[in-house]
Amino acid sequence: MAKEKPSINTVNFNAAQLMEFDACTRCGECVKYCPTYDARDKSQDIEPRDKILRWRSFMNRSFGLKARLFGPDKIPPEEIKKFTDDLYNCTTCGMCGTVCPAGINTIELWESTRANLVKHGTGPYGKQSLFPKLIEEGHNPYLKQQKDRLAWMTPDIKIADKSDIAYFIGCTAGYNQQVLGVSTARILNKLNVPFMALGEDEWCCGSALIRTGQQHINDTPKKAAIHNVEALKAKGAKRVIFACAGCFRAAKIDWPRAYGKALPFEAIHMSQFLAEQLEAGKIKWEKSLDKTVTYHDPCHLGRHVGVFEEPRKVIKSMPGIKLVEMKRNRKEQRCCGAGGGVKAGIPDLAMGVAKGRVNDAKETGAEALISTCPFCRRNLLDGRDELKLDMSVDDLVVLTANLMGLSTDVKPPAPGAPKESISDLFRTQTIPPKPVEPKKEAPKTEAPKAETPKAETPKIEKK
Amino acid sequence: MTEGLTILGKTVFDTLFIDYRIMVITAIISIILFLVGMYIQLDKWGRGIPEGATKPLGAWGALKLIISRIFEKGIGHALEVIILDVAFQRRTFRRRKLEWLMHILIFWGWIGLFILTVVAAAAEFYGPFVLGAEYEFFVGVWKSLELPNNIFGYMLVAGIAIAIIRRLFFRSKDVQARNADVDWILIIGLLIVVITGFYAQGIREAAGVERELISAYEINAPGFFNNITVLFHEVFTLLFCVAYLPFSKYLHIITAPLTIMVNHGGE
Repeated sequence: MAKEKPSINTVNFNAAQLMEFDACTRCGECVKYCPTYDARDKSQDIEPRDKILRWRSFMNRSFGLKARLFGPDKIPPEEIKKFTDDLYNCTTCGMCGTVCPAGINTIELWESTRANLVKHGTGPYGKQSLFPKLIEEGHNPYLKQQKDRLAWMTPDIKIADKSDIAYFIGCTAGYNQQVLGVSTARILNKLNVPFMALGEDEWCCGSALIRTGQQHINDTPKKAAIHNVEALKAKGAKRVIFACAGCFRAAKIDWPRAYGKALPFEAIHMSQFLAEQLEAGKIKWEKSLDKTVTYHDPCHLGRHVGVFEEPRKVIKSMPGIKLVEMKRNRKEQRCCGAGGGVKAGIPDLAMGVAKGRVNDAKETGAEALISTCPFCRRNLLDGRDELKLDMSVDDLVVLTANLMGLSTDVKPPAPGAPKESISDLFRTQTIPPKPVEPKKEAPKTEAPKAETPKAETPKIEKK
Repeated sequence: MTEGLTILGKTVFDTLFIDYRIMVITAIISIILFLVGMYIQLDKWGRGIPEGATKPLGAWGALKLIISRIFEKGIGHALEVIILDVAFQRRTFRRRKLEWLMHILIFWGWIGLFILTVVAAAAEFYGPFVLGAEYEFFVGVWKSLELPNNIFGYMLVAGIAIAIIRRLFFRSKDVQARNADVDWILIIGLLIVVITGFYAQGIREAAGVERELISAYEINAPGFFNNITVLFHEVFTLLFCVAYLPFSKYLHIITAPLTIMVNHGGE
């Protein structure tokens, strides 16, 4: 009798990763720190350890000794589907890998397993399946136009045509968090740092696709990385500044892999750039702000890349500002909940994790929660609103711009614009309410399926 | 009873006081099972087909990849990781002090006893085959290993005691994995190894290994000679600690250090 085919396959894993599944000692250290496990009422299915053990079991049932002797066990499709859903209940923050005594590289393991399951047909999760089409066709996950990449620019901002310094704006700051774009640009202008931007030539960094295991679909992130690198190179960039932690992580780790060699420029985060300028004595604080603030390390800037001290250095130098640390900080920071495609795919989980982090901040007594990632900022704002706390949530760049005496105002926000468009800390602008639209008759045709991006319009989030 | 086992015309002295033939056969079976088990694991890992690759690496390709990853940052860095993260278990020390102590005691106790066993076994052959020495050579080596053997044995006992105490009294401190009770198989197995090992050593020492001439066994065979508990200890230890290793949770003794090395200390 012919042996049955294994229910799973081993694509997208390398040999060392498959070994890592066998390295888990089941100690449970990861469980103590997992933000999604906490947010899911400590469900065992969500534990990083349990996911590793379940895939290990799948592997042994498919390719272990018994499988070699008697043929693979059939793993019920619903068991694989359940595993897939649990696997996507994860922000890929990497906390589990940081505390793992066996040093398992969980971030890469989750991404490879997700890619495997996407190819298997059980992944990704919910709206995440819209990312490939959106990013492939529109070069951003927000259904926006490429020509509007620099629509946030105000007349006072000067962007050079060519410069050896570039500002890679990113989709989130470019389209939804204009305050971050204007603040970064005004700071660079004030520091007399000529910079250029790619504008219409800037494509999504690809992070959302890689984190959700969809990088292989039309090779979109690879194409995007190569396009961005070549475009920056062609414009003569020697240093590229990123104010988005997600884009920065992609440029530091994912782009060189896609490009096949080291990048022809230095990728630097805005917080590092600010720390450098501070050290060189170029930043002059023109205002003081008597506030106690706490700093949230974005996973993509901190744990993934290792930038912890520069943002703190900048905050500590600000007149009037008192920095207090949350219990979990730096390498042991708790994720904001937005990453890994969770904000788009599983919004209630994103909210649950955000509330946990905002509560961490609340415990310190801080009046403001500062981060260095627009995506963290957005999710933490949501968490703050849900908890109805009197605490501001903003980006380090916005705070820096204000204390340098710069305006953080954006172009007058459109009615119903997202709350994250403007500064939360310096509320000089308001967003007009969205006009009430007259009720439309329900369409007679059948509602489009979830896979059709046009049916799901603008609330797509990436990271 | 004989003085020892005659191999290629040389007498290998039977000073471990077990039937050497059973020991050798069990050792060979255990090593074969260990190698087969490890090959199956390597073959399983070698089935991985990373993005961009068209076919799996296979068992030897997997081994090659693992070794190359360990040394990709240079020998100096690999050595640092081996010393600090594998030998000293720095990552566990940082977060779980009691568990670190337990691991260090079991790990080094186990490794120490394993190394001493290999040394003793080597001395048994080295004496007659290389030096042409009589049994006194082996007895001398054996006696010199007594203290470290005891130290490593006590380390193992202490480690196992901590493991049992942790599981009995501090269980609620950690969130338990599914089927965590399977850990008891390993703990009880190690406990059997240690208890029978101390028993075997005890009766050897009580008889005075250095004073007993093997040639006298036929007249005055000591109580430990071919003692069923001693024999059980040797056979069980080989099967449990060597043959069973690749098929059990014990595999992490190999995979966890390899993972730390492959990931350059996990940072």
